[in-house]
Amino acid sequence: MSKEITITIDGIECKAKEGEYILNIARANGIFIPAICYLTRCSPTLACRLCLVEADGKRVYACNAKAKDGMNIVTQTEEILEERRAIMEVYDVNHPLQCGVCDQHGECELQNYTLEMEVDEQHYAIADTKRETKNWSSVLHYDAGLCIVCERCVTVCKDMIGDSALKTGPRGGDKLDKSYKETMPKDAYAMWNKLQKSIIVPSNGTEYTNCSDCGECTAVCPVGALTERDFIYKANPWELREVPSACAHCSSACHLYYETRFTSIDDPSEKIFRIKNEFHYQSLCGAGRFGYDYENRNVKKDPNALKRAVEAIKKAKTIRFNSMITNEEALMLQTLKEKFGIKLVNKEVKPFQNFLKVYGKAKGQMLYSNSFKDMSSSDFIVSVGAKLRNDNPAARYLFNNIQKINKGAGFYFHPVGDTLVPTFGKSVSVFNHKVGDEEYVMLLLLDLFADKEKLPSEIKEKLASFKEKRVKKVKEKVMKEVVEKVVDKESGEEKEVKKKVPSFEEKEVEYEANLLVEKLGGDVENFNEEFEKALKKKEDFALIVGEDFYFHPKAANLAKLVALFEETTDFKVAFIPPKSNALGVALICDLDENEEGFVVGYNEPGDFKISALGDGDFDIPAMNQQEGTTTNMNKRVVPLNAALDYEGYELNDIMNELGLGKNLTIDWTEALPVEKGYQVAKFDDLPNYFANDMSEHRGYVLANMPVDKEEVIIEEFSESKLEGQIAYRCNPQRQFNDFTDKAHQIFEPFALYVSPEKAKELGEFVKVEFENGEGLELPVEVDERLSGDIVEVPDFKAEMDVYSLFGKNRYAQVKITKV
Amino acid sequence: MDGYIIGTIIKAVLILLILSALAGFGTYLERKVLAFMQRRLGPYHVGPYGLLQILADGIKLFTKEDFIPAGANRIIFMIAPAITAATAFIALAAVPLLPEFTIFGIKVRPIVSDLNIGLLFVIAMMGVGLYGPLLAGMAQENKWGLLGSARTAVQFLSYEVVTGLSILAPIMMVGSLSLIDFNNYQAGGISHWIIWKQPLAFILFLISGYAETNRTPFDLLEHEAEIISGYATEYSGLRWGMFFIGEYTNMITIGFLASLIFLGGFNPLGFIPGGIAIILKVSFFFFLMLWIRAAWPHIRPDQLMWLCWKVLMPLAVLNILITGIVMMV
Amino acid sequence: MSEKKRVGVQNYRFIELEPTPTTAWGKFKRVLKRSVKLELFVGLKVTFREMFKALFMGEMHTVKYPLEKLPISPRYRAIHEMKRLLESGHYRCIGCGLCEKICISDCIRMDTRYDENQRKEVVEYTINFGRCIFCGYCAEVCPELAITHGGRYETASEQRASFSLFEDMLTPIDKLKEQKEYPGFGAISPNADENIKKTPLAY
Repeated sequence: MSKEITITIDGIECKAKEGEYILNIARANGIFIPAICYLTRCSPTLACRLCLVEADGKRVYACNAKAKDGMNIVTQTEEILEERRAIMEVYDVNHPLQCGVCDQHGECELQNYTLEMEVDEQHYAIADTKRETKNWSSVLHYDAGLCIVCERCVTVCKDMIGDSALKTGPRGGDKLDKSYKETMPKDAYAMWNKLQKSIIVPSNGTEYTNCSDCGECTAVCPVGALTERDFIYKANPWELREVPSACAHCSSACHLYYETRFTSIDDPSEKIFRIKNEFHYQSLCGAGRFGYDYENRNVKKDPNALKRAVEAIKKAKTIRFNSMITNEEALMLQTLKEKFGIKLVNKEVKPFQNFLKVYGKAKGQMLYSNSFKDMSSSDFIVSVGAKLRNDNPAARYLFNNIQKINKGAGFYFHPVGDTLVPTFGKSVSVFNHKVGDEEYVMLLLLDLFADKEKLPSEIKEKLASFKEKRVKKVKEKVMKEVVEKVVDKESGEEKEVKKKVPSFEEKEVEYEANLLVEKLGGDVENFNEEFEKALKKKEDFALIVGEDFYFHPKAANLAKLVALFEETTDFKVAFIPPKSNALGVALICDLDENEEGFVVGYNEPGDFKISALGDGDFDIPAMNQQEGTTTNMNKRVVPLNAALDYEGYELNDIMNELGLGKNLTIDWTEALPVEKGYQVAKFDDLPNYFANDMSEHRGYVLANMPVDKEEVIIEEFSESKLEGQIAYRCNPQRQFNDFTDKAHQIFEPFALYVSPEKAKELGEFVKVEFENGEGLELPVEVDERLSGDIVEVPDFKAEMDVYSLFGKNRYAQVKITKV
Repeated sequence: MDGYIIGTIIKAVLILLILSALAGFGTYLERKVLAFMQRRLGPYHVGPYGLLQILADGIKLFTKEDFIPAGANRIIFMIAPAITAATAFIALAAVPLLPEFTIFGIKVRPIVSDLNIGLLFVIAMMGVGLYGPLLAGMAQENKWGLLGSARTAVQFLSYEVVTGLSILAPIMMVGSLSLIDFNNYQAGGISHWIIWKQPLAFILFLISGYAETNRTPFDLLEHEAEIISGYATEYSGLRWGMFFIGEYTNMITIGFLASLIFLGGFNPLGFIPGGIAIILKVSFFFFLMLWIRAAWPHIRPDQLMWLCWKVLMPLAVLNILITGIVMMV
Repeated sequence: MSEKKRVGVQNYRFIELEPTPTTAWGKFKRVLKRSVKLELFVGLKVTFREMFKALFMGEMHTVKYPLEKLPISPRYRAIHEMKRLLESGHYRCIGCGLCEKICISDCIRMDTRYDENQRKEVVEYTINFGRCIFCGYCAEVCPELAITHGGRYETASEQRASFSLFEDMLTPIDKLKEQKEYPGFGAISPNADENIKKTPLAY
């Protein structure tokens, strides 16, 4: 890794890593350098030029100047202050004086910096340009009049989200008065010159962004230019009560703030108005940002329902649940299992639990060794078995961020074609392999990265069988000497001039072909060169393992292969737990395969339904109404806080009726199983914030407990038997579960998602018939970024029981007929 | 003889009704005059010029809870206001209110009973009136009430002396105790008014009259600033109203006495007939009481006693002596 | 008798009082002096004069309150008024919520929305006069001079909470011409122009 250095900022000694940006070092050490356009985890834009500092007497921009050992940095000199003030004055030129109605009013960085720079007078002027207000998508609202073109939205969309849906476009403004060039500070003039020419537009050339609607651009916007359509003019930031919590929808469990206020004059009850996030440290997806209003509304204590619920639990043979559950609730269910022998069935988690068990035995550790957070420094990332765009936004952002910021490379293995992933970076290689070839994917990775010495002999043999000498035709550039006769115009003499002219010659070259690459849909001929190029200067490797591996006929074998891979390479390995608290459930609960007898459904269908969705026989609080913890994919136990009131009963009340309860639900937090890596920690002691140096202080990290290691015996590989039309169990980008579906700003329907070309073939409404004869009738929705023949069937509605249709595989052979 | 009894009863009832009404009207006048003197409007909301305010107050007094404190002597507590009101009216029995007139052919003498000791009777009855506040204050088991009743005893008894002595000189001159005789004595016109011969007696009578009617500057019996409401502290409703009626009736009585003894009574005054004349005179005295209340502060209890025994009484005695000497000479 | 002290700059006059007599003779002299000088009658004269003035010279002080009201200072801080723009007649309030924020008795609430003209529209606005303490902060903080205090001081209500709606406080459209700027708390200072630095314009 890069070496430790010491630099001095304003007389304060700061320790840092070589090559870090000065601005980041200052931020980590709590030294204030103004900057509007820079986002901590993104590339510098150099749009605002406010972060001007003096490094060893030279004026540099702190956001893109790298620190060198012994550097002495002064953040404020008279010249710099003058420059900054001029920049702020320029930003204020023609900025509408409508702070009163602006949604950013009160948390506006333009306001803050204008005050900070003490701008009380304007020296510059230019004729204003009419700029239209636009709605870019179902959630994005852009008021160009307020925009200061800091390009944060463009940067974050490109560097974090990966959609690259925004760019700067022509503004059509007047040219600056020439006299300014002499009279104005240099940087302010340059910044203004650029500002006067540009404005933000969707990068696809239309009026609408075609993106994943994550809304991160609205979060990063320092002014009120980019806002969520739903929030416009509804409430002022200062009225909102900030509740730090975690998103409950996927296994990333991102840190977020619920912002609540009374609903309206007529309705004094609390309501979540919007979600805010610490965008410098963690980016949210569309489900997290817009899927917040899933609370179980208007619930009162109903003693009769409680009585019935207790009866149902006593009668129950099976409790069926999913991963939208806190660790505490999962522990309560596990307690019920232990006391009453009730079976616990969780179709989302069971295969993952099995996978972890096999992996653990092979690895000697209960959990995967690294977290996604650790991977942010990687420069080579491999994703296997994960539909990055849909499965887990955080993993996708990581993959993209590594390409953009760490100048990294990446391999993406997946059977379903995706047009977005290749756009993440030039060095991203996509392998659209056949369904069921995941074992060969691991084999290829072993071939490419593993220390061959350590591999078992049968693997070595297998690898050797995929090597073949082949000949390919290569066009080679050869300089040929050509003799030309030139007539000299003056003398009329003919002269012979020798010239060298390039010409391409086809040549046959022998190379070692890797048949695995061919099998997995790669370009065998050029693979070796490309791989060599991608590997250049790379020193930090990472592997993401996704849901396809857990829901796989040969999941156990894959788990062993992953363990083997981890052992024989220096890759950082992390898994994406399939759904929100899947890791927590997998660790806490002892799950059973099949349900039997009287079934109590927990947010799932059943003979008696306990539900936070408001549709059950017994109401429980939703994840934004209760305190508790969830275990995220970074192996962190993070606290959830109650944003809204809940007046009804909780699961703990049933436990109390059964004589198993504790005083409060959060008293269960201390009881989480220590042998699985949890700590005896009180809920109220769990921190929930990010520090300036980007360190995460949220809950605690699970200990990776050792397990007895068993010898790894790799089974024979198998070929997939799926033929014809294949369906893939995969949710649309902003849907994860019934709760995201309940949120009013998430519109993606329960439908068959297909690529545009497939859609032409299928029409509008189809019947999807599975092998076991059962079927679904679904409307067809086009996913613009999907390619290929495989169709996607979502699973976010528990009542549709899509898991039963697919069984223990994410792929299924189906028959699709038009309806 | 029957006619005499019936006439007397009619007269008594009329006097009772009219004076009760006048007492109420008196409160209205007092509020109005005091308001005017302080440049206020006084009651003006209820009825024309606020005239029906009396009615409103009456209704209020009638409907108010009749409250008797737990530790009070119930009987005495209940009787006390009646004594005040009754003695006030009884005193008026010997006072000729108007000159004789004829109505429906019947000659009416507007006096209930022309006693030959009329003046003595009036003074005596007003003296008995002392029992009202005295008993009221002692019966209610209240410190303020007790203080009030003590003050009542002191003040009334003291000034009784001055009243008696001050009118002794006019009595000596007239040679009769009948108020009609007083009236007739001054029949000769303004120059025959006793006030010219007995100015000192007039002033002394007026001063002691104020003291006896508990008016400013001698309103110490129920002095709000010092003893809440004195003897009337625990009274409310109609019982309290009876104290009021008594007080205002006494004010009118004093007015009549002063007019009859010193200011020529109901003798015609030039072109003014006698009936109107005495009403004007009484009205003046009533107004004077209000006027003085508006203008003057009240005095301290010690000053009250000092004034009575050290100033007024010697002067009264002196006045009698001088009168006697003059009459003998 | 007493030392002359400087008490402010008002026109106070100290009255020279004679010393209180201590001897009996002295007291008697004082009684005589006061009686002969008829000081008591001065009091009677004064009260009678006042009555005369009140009754016949129209110097009655009483105001028949519910029927007639004293003119109130234009800067008086009573029930709020919502002002309109003089030219367009549109209400001035832009729904910025500053009054709601600054209100120390937390009695102002507003609901806003994004309207069809892409403006912030005030859907509902209430002031709870049961809680309002008429401090005037809302009027002072208002950037649009939209909320000001008015002269309606009769705030008694039958319930502890008495809500006033936006429409009740808004200048009636037919009385727009009578609308006056509020000179009190929150108004533009007379020398505002001198304190403002002018912004250059490019056109």
